Amino acid sequence: MTAPPFALLQRGPEAALFQTPEGQVVRAGAFLAAAARLAQRLPPGVAVLNLCEQRLGFALGFAAALLRGQLSMLSADRSPARLAALVVQAQGVVVLSENAPPALIHASIHVEPRVCEGARAVENPVIPPERVVARVFTSGSTGAPVPHEKTWGALTTRSAAACARFGLAADGPVSIVGTVPAQHMYGFETTLLLAFHAPVSVWCGPAFYPRDIAAALAAMPAPRMLVTTPLQLRALLDAAIALPPLAGIISATAPLPLALAERAEARWQTRVFEIFGATEAGSIASRAPSESDIWQAYPGLSFAAERAGAEDGSVLRVSGPFMAPVTLADAVEWLSPESFRLLGRRSDVVKLGGKRASLAGLTRILTAIEGVEDGIFIAPDDLDAASNARLIAFVVAPRRSADDILAALRREIDPLFLPRRVIRLQRLPRNEIGKLPQENLMRLAAENGEI
Amino acid sequence: MNQPITLSETAARALENELAHLIVEVLHLENKPESLDPLAPLFGEGLGLDSIDALELALAISRRFGIELKSDDERNRQIFASLRALAGHIAAHRTK
Repeated sequence: MTAPPFALLQRGPEAALFQTPEGQVVRAGAFLAAAARLAQRLPPGVAVLNLCEQRLGFALGFAAALLRGQLSMLSADRSPARLAALVVQAQGVVVLSENAPPALIHASIHVEPRVCEGARAVENPVIPPERVVARVFTSGSTGAPVPHEKTWGALTTRSAAACARFGLAADGPVSIVGTVPAQHMYGFETTLLLAFHAPVSVWCGPAFYPRDIAAALAAMPAPRMLVTTPLQLRALLDAAIALPPLAGIISATAPLPLALAERAEARWQTRVFEIFGATEAGSIASRAPSESDIWQAYPGLSFAAERAGAEDGSVLRVSGPFMAPVTLADAVEWLSPESFRLLGRRSDVVKLGGKRASLAGLTRILTAIEGVEDGIFIAPDDLDAASNARLIAFVVAPRRSADDILAALRREIDPLFLPRRVIRLQRLPRNEIGKLPQENLMRLAAENGEI
Repeated sequence: MNQPITLSETAARALENELAHLIVEVLHLENKPESLDPLAPLFGEGLGLDSIDALELALAISRRFGIELKSDDERNRQIFASLRALAGHIAAHRTK
C-alpha cells in the first residue's frame, strides 16, 4: 500500500520506521496511533518547541504537532538562555520534553519515548505542502536566533531527492544509524524525515561514541548506512572497533578530508558520500569524495551566484519548490547548472561541530557584556581542519576578570563557540582608521600562545 | 591502620595527575595540568569542555587505559563530573 503524495508518512502501516535500543521495531501504524494520542494532549497554540533528546520522542512530538497543524521549533543550540529566549519570542509556545523542563523554562509537556503495539489505527493525513511545519534556528549576525521556516513540501521533496541519490529504495528497507541530533537540520533530514518518507528504519538509541555506534549498527538488520560527521568517522576509525558490513556512510557538517573518506572505504569495504547543506537551505548537493570533488546538486533546486555585498567572492542563492529563496555564505565555482566546486566560506561565518555562527554576531555579544569596553572574536586559520581548534576572544575590560567574561559568554552562546580563554588587553590593535586588521590580531594571538 | 588508605590515596592522586596531563595535551588547553582543580566540573562551568571535546577525550582515554566510554546518559554525567570522578571510573575499569 502506498500513501498519497504529501501524506504524513509515505509508508504502509506495517513499515518499520524506527528501532529502539530494547529491540522494538516501531511500525508506521503504531507510530501514528501514538502520535495521535500525544496530539490530543497538546494544548491549542501555533507552535511547539520540541526539546526531546531521544529520536523516538522527538519524532512523536514532531508528528503530533503535524497532526494538530502546529509548527515545530527546532533548536540545535541547547544553552538555557537561548531556549528561554525562544520561548519568550514565540508567545504561547508549548514545550515538549522527555525530561523535566530545562533551566529557565517553567513548564513542559512530558513525552514518553515509547510506542505501544496493537493500538487502534488512525488516519495518515495529507499535510498541505505549502504549510510551514518547522522553524529551525541559526545564530544570526546579531547573535539573536534567526528563524528559517520549512514547508512540508520542501521537506518531502528533499527526502525524495536523498532517497534517489543514495539508492535507499533499491534494496528494500535500509537501516540508518545516525550520530547527529534530530534538532540539527542534517540530523532532522536524515534520521527523522527519511524514516517518514523513504524505505528507511532509523536507530533510536544512543550513537555518539565509537562503541555506541558499533553496537547500534550490530543491532540493526542489513543493509546498514551510517549517517555521521567527519569527527565521529575519524574517532570510529581510530578506535579500531569491528563493525558489521556497511552499505554506505554519509558525512556532513564539516569538510570531509579525502584521506579519511578513503580510509573508511578501505577499512569497511563501503562507499562514502558527503552532503553539502546548511540550516537555511537543508541538504542541497552531494558527492562521493573518493570519486570526485565536484558537488552534484539535488534535483529540483535552482541556483544563482550572487555578489556578497562589499565582501569578496560570490555567494550561493538557492531556490526550489515550496521554499523561499535563501542565500548561503559559500563561494562556489559552477561547472554546469547542476554541478559545482566549493571555493570556501565567507570569512565572517565559522562552523564548529556542524553549527554556524557569525564572528560579528559573537563580537556583538562580547562587547555587550557589562564592563567590556572593546573586544573581538577571531577564528584561527586551522579552524576547519583541526577538530580541537576553537575561537579566540580579545577583550578590553579593565574592571572585569577573564573568568568573569567567560562566564558571561557561557550564558549567551553555544559552548562550541566559547573561546578556550579570554585574552585581556589594554587596547585592541586597531589601525589608523579604527579597523582591526586580521594580521595584527593573529600576531597578538600567537604572542599569547593561542596559535 | 592508616597505611593502606594512604597508599591508595597516593595512587589515586597519581592517576588524577596523569589524567590532567592527558586532558591538557589532547584538548590543547592553555591551563597547566597542575592547576586543574580535581573537583571542578569538566563541562559547563569549570573547564568548559564541549561535546567535541568529550569525543576526543573518550578516544584518548580508551587508548591509554583500555576503557570504552558509551553514551549511557546518567552514568556519563557522573563519570565526567570532575577530574576526580573520571579518575575514579578509570581506576575501577582500566584494562591497561
